[in-house]
Amino acid sequence: MRTLLTTLLLFFVLWPTAALLAEETASPPKASKPQPRSLDELLIMVSEGYETEREINRRRVEEFIKNRDHQERLLADAMAVISREEAKSQILEVEYNENELAIGTSQARMTERLGELGELFGVVRQVAADLGAQTWNSLTSSDGGSQQELLDRLGRSTELPTTADLEKLWLELQREITKQGKVSRYRTTVLTIEGTQEEREVIRAGPFSAISNGRYLLWEPEDQLLRELGRQPPSNHLDTAESFANATTYFAKFSVDPSRGGLLLALIDTPSRTERVQQGGAVGAVIIVLGVVALIVGVWRWIVIAITSSKISAQRNSETIDVNNPLGRILEVAERNANFDTETLELKLDEVVLRESSKLENFLWLVKTVSVISPLLGLLGTVTGMIQTFQAITLFGAGDPKMMAGGISQALVTTMLGLIVAIPLVLLSDTLANSVRKLIDILDEKSAGLIALRSEKDNVGG
Amino acid sequence: MWEVEAFAVVRGFIEQGGDVLLVIAFVTAVMWTLILERMWYFRTGFRHDFAQAQALWDARTDHSSWNSRQIRRVIVSDVRVELFWGMGMIGTLVALCPMLGLLGTVTGMIEVFDVMAAGGGNTRGMAAGVSKATLPTMAGMVAAISGMLFHVQLERFAESAANRVSDNLEMFPEQSS
Repeated sequence: MRTLLTTLLLFFVLWPTAALLAEETASPPKASKPQPRSLDELLIMVSEGYETEREINRRRVEEFIKNRDHQERLLADAMAVISREEAKSQILEVEYNENELAIGTSQARMTERLGELGELFGVVRQVAADLGAQTWNSLTSSDGGSQQELLDRLGRSTELPTTADLEKLWLELQREITKQGKVSRYRTTVLTIEGTQEEREVIRAGPFSAISNGRYLLWEPEDQLLRELGRQPPSNHLDTAESFANATTYFAKFSVDPSRGGLLLALIDTPSRTERVQQGGAVGAVIIVLGVVALIVGVWRWIVIAITSSKISAQRNSETIDVNNPLGRILEVAERNANFDTETLELKLDEVVLRESSKLENFLWLVKTVSVISPLLGLLGTVTGMIQTFQAITLFGAGDPKMMAGGISQALVTTMLGLIVAIPLVLLSDTLANSVRKLIDILDEKSAGLIALRSEKDNVGG
Repeated sequence: MWEVEAFAVVRGFIEQGGDVLLVIAFVTAVMWTLILERMWYFRTGFRHDFAQAQALWDARTDHSSWNSRQIRRVIVSDVRVELFWGMGMIGTLVALCPMLGLLGTVTGMIEVFDVMAAGGGNTRGMAAGVSKATLPTMAGMVAAISGMLFHVQLERFAESAANRVSDNLEMFPEQSS
């Protein structure tokens, strides 16, 4: 029973294996291969397959042996080639070494014979490179005619310059010297502020400054163009440009930039007055608005007080009572209540004086307050600006001053604005307060005195 | 020769200190003119005014009525006005000087930071800004301190002079004498 089970199991295990083997040994056309239908048939197929396999192997071995002889022949040939080439290489190496020596001696002889000419070569290269860089960056190039390629070639070349080149270099130097020494007038392309290119008449003073239409120009080496400066120098320098262009005398005054454009470039970087004020930010704007309002109010009060003051002094010198001024109104009250006793009259006068003086003091608090507040606002701006600065430092570190510049300029500009607003307002408010105090003094003390004088005069007269 | 040298020194100082220094110089000049004017007045004009007030008062026969009291107030107030003329302005100018100095500091510092922003380590350019920052501050301080000293003294003198005037215009001369 057990043996039967084992046999069955073996059969089931071996059958697929045998089938696989049969498939592998079989030739490629698989479909045409008849499938074994029983174990006997399988046995026959396997034995047949074995026979054909042996035949193939035998043929392979024969072929291999044949091939081996051929390869051996090839190897022998290759070996022969190698030995031949090696022999040739040795000959060449010897030749190479000999040549090396020959070159060395030839070079030594060459340097020996070059002597001072070698030095000249270096000097020519250096001069050409220097002149090239100079003319490239110089205003004189705007006049045209500089041989940039020649100078470039001479500056870079490793060969000895020819006599013709040397002569050209000399000519270039001479031309540059002549150009730099002259004030010349010529037409050339100018890049305008609008960004268009225009042919204009340009006046160039040596290598320093160039102007056209009374405006300063800057040389742009990259574009080899003259560019009109967006921001021009202050008017005292600009005026000289205008008069220089129209000069008819031999001598004329003209502001040149001795740094060859450096100062003009710095001019572009420095902010204008309005930009400076804008750096103050919101706090700066508040200071300016407050300052302007207080200034207008202050000037208005000043005019009012001056008029009142002149009216009061007119009233003091006149006999008739005019109610268009505070003193007149007080006197009028005194006149109207003349029949009262002095105590009541004084009370009445005090009342009127109080009313009039409060009218005079109108809006003075505004000027005073703004004059006190504006430096405080400036300080506020300083603090907010410093906060910005320190935030910038936290983010970017303290290495780059440009990163901090925004906050610092806000801090400084607001302080400056605060002070600029405060200084005239302090003066104004003090002047106003002084004159108002004087007027109130007059109303307070002199009105009573005037009444007293008047009544005495009346007594004497009556 | 020393005038030329002094002029050169002053001009160098102003050049280093910038425009604000000119404003400070102007304010200081006005302030000191006012102070000197007050000193001169206390020495000369005031005596005359005092005598005039006294004469005006002594000319009256009546010294104690309501009318007389008011007139006395007028006379004293007139003298006070003369005594304190310009004192408020001196005080204001004294207060302005440090403010102007601070303004100079700020404008100078702006210049320093302009140089820094333009290209880092130009120490010489920065030094020009720093001198523009410090010189006006110093000048403003010196002007303010000198003005302050005299202002206080002048006020004290004016106050005591005004009191002297009002003391001398006696209300009841009959009783006191």
